Amino acid sequence: MLATETKSPKILRLVVVALAVLIGLGCGRKEKAGDTITYRLKWLFNTSVVGDLYADVHQFFSDEGLTVDIKEGGPERDALRELELGRAQFGVASADQVIRALSKGADVVVIAQFFQVNPLQWIYRPDKIKINSLSDLKGQVLGVTFGGNDETILRTLLAKGGLSADDVTLYSVRQDYTPFFQKKVNFWPVYRNTQAVFLGEKLRGSGDNFAFFNPVDYGVRFVANSLVTSGEMIKNNPETVRKFTVALLRGWKAAMDPVNANHAVETLRRYDKDSSVETLQKELAITRSLVQPDAAIPIGFIDTAAWKQTEQIMVTQGLVPTSVHVEKALREILQQ
Amino acid sequence: MLLHRRIYQFLIIYAIGLACLLLIKYGLGLSDYVIPGPVDIWHTGTEEFERYFFDVLNTLAVAVAGQVISIFIALLVGVAGRQATWFGSFIKVAAYNVQAYPIVAIAPIIFILLGDGLLTRLLIAAMICYFPVLLSVIGIMAEPVVDIEHFYRVTGRMRWQLEVKIRAFENLNKLTTVIAGSATLAMAGTIVAEFIAANAGIGYSIRVALYQSNLAKILVALFLIGITLSVYQGVLELSGVIIRRAWTGK
Repeated sequence: MLATETKSPKILRLVVVALAVLIGLGCGRKEKAGDTITYRLKWLFNTSVVGDLYADVHQFFSDEGLTVDIKEGGPERDALRELELGRAQFGVASADQVIRALSKGADVVVIAQFFQVNPLQWIYRPDKIKINSLSDLKGQVLGVTFGGNDETILRTLLAKGGLSADDVTLYSVRQDYTPFFQKKVNFWPVYRNTQAVFLGEKLRGSGDNFAFFNPVDYGVRFVANSLVTSGEMIKNNPETVRKFTVALLRGWKAAMDPVNANHAVETLRRYDKDSSVETLQKELAITRSLVQPDAAIPIGFIDTAAWKQTEQIMVTQGLVPTSVHVEKALREILQQ
Repeated sequence: MLLHRRIYQFLIIYAIGLACLLLIKYGLGLSDYVIPGPVDIWHTGTEEFERYFFDVLNTLAVAVAGQVISIFIALLVGVAGRQATWFGSFIKVAAYNVQAYPIVAIAPIIFILLGDGLLTRLLIAAMICYFPVLLSVIGIMAEPVVDIEHFYRVTGRMRWQLEVKIRAFENLNKLTTVIAGSATLAMAGTIVAEFIAANAGIGYSIRVALYQSNLAKILVALFLIGITLSVYQGVLELSGVIIRRAWTGK
């Protein structure tokens, strides 16, 4: 009896110690001067992060006295969670992620916006679907990633066109393009600067016509990837934040400059050995048109109106309960 | 009693897991975005319970069918591969190699061939859960029950069907345990299949929740998966006891 009584507190103590160790191991250190800065991307290394890679390869971070470890993202990785857990100091997140995080009380600040035009668009076959107005989508089979950004954007477009989900057939999309190639679905969400290039090459090869459906043409400006950090990081390490932003945007500016196109492609080839130089060149050209569609708009510019519209869409669709006043979380460091 | 025990044991495990998460949340002062609070989890639970419950039932139905198929295949391969002949060895090598391929690599091929419907889920579930059953069946079937088999061999009455029956009967406890345990794998296999190549079931719902960065939904889904699996395993164990009683009279 006595043995059982002494065993239980021992086990309890062991559990508490194990938990403490787990928490200690799981959570990173807070950034200090001279430490390596972790920068968590949203997705894998591809043309959508060319500016980030360019800054790293061309030592722009070192020029600012920073040591930066750029880490790939992925569907199961969330830069915002890593910021809060202290495992990363900077990250890339989409606007919907930022707004969701703000609505749950996360301390997140947007310090630059990479894409002025969202690369998430739809590829479609104009000989199968004629789209002159949103109401032309009625009765069509439309590819959508349920739970993804494209679902939110598509539902907004349908509402704008006076349509409901019952007026169309929504087809659940994943990484496999077979239903699109088989023409079971002729309207498929793609990243215009990456997947669309590869798909376009295939379709051209088989003699198929294709076009792109860009939500911006119908007034929907849903913000894509942006540079984020925590409010705590800005408060405690403003100089690191400034230096990091300077180096990163310098990388983006250089990578988007047509003069540096070959260097940018060489940089990408270091990380993406599967894509040909020609494909990467095409991807880079399209990325340029999405990052800086207008030379008057500086790279990294935060489009507050588009952020507010994104928030409004999410509130309307019930994805966040109320407004989070996203404009308060937007801070262009270099213009301060 | 078995069923009852399974359920409360799961509830204890889930409660401990949740308590640990909340301890981390409040210990580190994390926001609801990283780890949802109890109120958030409760609200999500009440909102999503009905939909997720039917999703889990959908998944369970496929898992049960997948498990039946896998047990059937494992018995077939196990019986055929029990002898130390060339054919027996060939069957074993083929079965082992199929298992060596990661399911995520095979899934796109299955998806292209069968689409994102029921068959894909069924096949992946069966592929994931058949191997442990197969190993046990081969282990049991390859091990002679010398005392009993000797009698039939010396009297020249041994046939392969009788050999299989003797070995199955003598190892009924082991077989029941393996079959009940493989239910977990069947369920896990179905969820993996739904996650990567389906439009229905709780695996698909988890995928959508992951896209929405909604951990509260995932916690609710995990609760429903756990409780359903506990009930199913309890039922399987109970069935094992009933069958054993009917066979042995004990």
